[in-house]
Amino acid sequence: MAELRSEEMVLNVGPQHPSTHGVFRLVVTLDGEQIVDADPVVGYLHRGTEKLAEDLQYTQIIPYTDRLDYLSSMLNNYALVHTIEYAMDLEVPARAEYLRVIVMELNRVASHLVFTGTYLLDLGAMSPFLYAFMERETIVELFNEICGARLTYNYMRVGGVKWDAPNGWLQKVRDFVLHMREKMRMYHNLISGNEIFLNRVKGIGVITQEDAINFAMSGINLRSTGINWDLRKNVPYGIYDQFDFNVIVAEHGDCLDRYWIHMKEIEESLKIVEQALDKISEGPVLGKVPKMIRVPAGEYYRGIEGSRGELGVYIVSDGKDKPYRLKLRRPSFVNLQILKKLLIGQNMANMIAILGAVDIVLGEVDG
Amino acid sequence: MSTEDNNTSDTVKATPTASAAAKPAAKPAKAALPPDPRVVAALANGETIKTALNQKLGVPIVVEVSASKAVPILIIDKAYWVQAVQFLRDDALQSYDYLRMFSGTDYPNYIEIAIHLVSRQHNTALYVKTRTERDLAVVPSLTGLFQGVNWEEREVYDLLGVHFEGHPDLRRIMMWEGWKGYPLRKDYSPFEDLDERGGNV
Repeated sequence: MAELRSEEMVLNVGPQHPSTHGVFRLVVTLDGEQIVDADPVVGYLHRGTEKLAEDLQYTQIIPYTDRLDYLSSMLNNYALVHTIEYAMDLEVPARAEYLRVIVMELNRVASHLVFTGTYLLDLGAMSPFLYAFMERETIVELFNEICGARLTYNYMRVGGVKWDAPNGWLQKVRDFVLHMREKMRMYHNLISGNEIFLNRVKGIGVITQEDAINFAMSGINLRSTGINWDLRKNVPYGIYDQFDFNVIVAEHGDCLDRYWIHMKEIEESLKIVEQALDKISEGPVLGKVPKMIRVPAGEYYRGIEGSRGELGVYIVSDGKDKPYRLKLRRPSFVNLQILKKLLIGQNMANMIAILGAVDIVLGEVDG
Repeated sequence: MSTEDNNTSDTVKATPTASAAAKPAAKPAKAALPPDPRVVAALANGETIKTALNQKLGVPIVVEVSASKAVPILIIDKAYWVQAVQFLRDDALQSYDYLRMFSGTDYPNYIEIAIHLVSRQHNTALYVKTRTERDLAVVPSLTGLFQGVNWEEREVYDLLGVHFEGHPDLRRIMMWEGWKGYPLRKDYSPFEDLDERGGNV
């Protein structure tokens, strides 16, 4: 009787399924409740950004990056303009650098809030989602004031940023930081100590250090295993070496750790925003940049710490005003590969919890 | 804070006070610029790795050494692609154990596969590349060394048409099965075989 087995069943999750956070399909083979095989199918949102970029001038590519990881467009903007600036050895005015850091870290906070909200929603908790979107709304409104868009910001330019902060904007950011600190206590009260939640996510979806490195994972997924790797510290770019903040590292590599790092990173981001607000001074926001941006022939790669991991741009240039080849290293795409390994042997209900904690955005997975 | 001498040619053009005579003076000064010290250091570093690689495998497998800013670029003979990357990963002096980026580029005469390796231990970075002909593009797969390149290789196969020998699951990933052509190739035309793809109804 020990060998009693039920017939295996193939179940199609998605492409239209709320817990996949987009159009993502997962073909799972089930033996009873147990997952014996999983095949993630991506590509439903593939728009060919890399191919489109080959026919666009460098500034024209910036709006396309907004649409990759649409929860942290500011970081996507920065990844591109930073690589171009690095290739051209451009100097960026100090005020622009600080404004960039402020909007990037605010965007990281907003993105992590969406993670928290939707992750809890996946697990069946409705209210954190609504709370998280309230604070996110404040950030989005701040972005609306500085660049006129709520989601696709198109804010950064090669050599600086497009708009200076309007009057009183920096004070509003300062108020928000204080408000958000207050709110973090509420989130911890609401979620972090919740026993149902803790029992639900503790010890599932465990990633080992060897796997994390072998699968080239980055960001929170990598740090949850105990590897201290944050590009803001390890390979500093921009002005990140001027800020005092901690890299949050956990040790178990499970879903709870990944939730925990998200929450802690919000606090660290607020720290950075506060320091940037103290240091920012008046000045130009766009440096001296040639009218026609031509990246010198050669190839250049820069990675930045996006909200989901290493967000990299690889430019192959032949010296013209358009890239010969533009490769986007999209952290969600690389991180998602481990899903199959994490799911096998788990039961079906854990699938949602594990997929949610890997934290993917399908616009970025599919490029 | 703002350095104005960085992009010489355009600053000269933009400044109204700069007379026409200043222009030719600026040009030779630009040509006589000393080589970027970062590039010089990177080239020396690349040569060291080249020697180590050639010595280890006993054959000259490094075709070319160049540099992008501070990062050395090695072009490896395709036949030794896996061995070379394995050596870079496992050798204690190199220990490039983190594969940051995997990419492919279509050139007129060849397709180039480029990876960006990082050694977390020594805090160094390195580009490693290999080339394959366009008509019968075959490159050994790195999936045995880094599982993280699984989907990356599938993407390059899908969009550039490079077959990765030894890949466990080489299927299209972005385009659907039955798609014709490789969109990221430079000679790809979206208007070929339009009827067959259901476009020209």
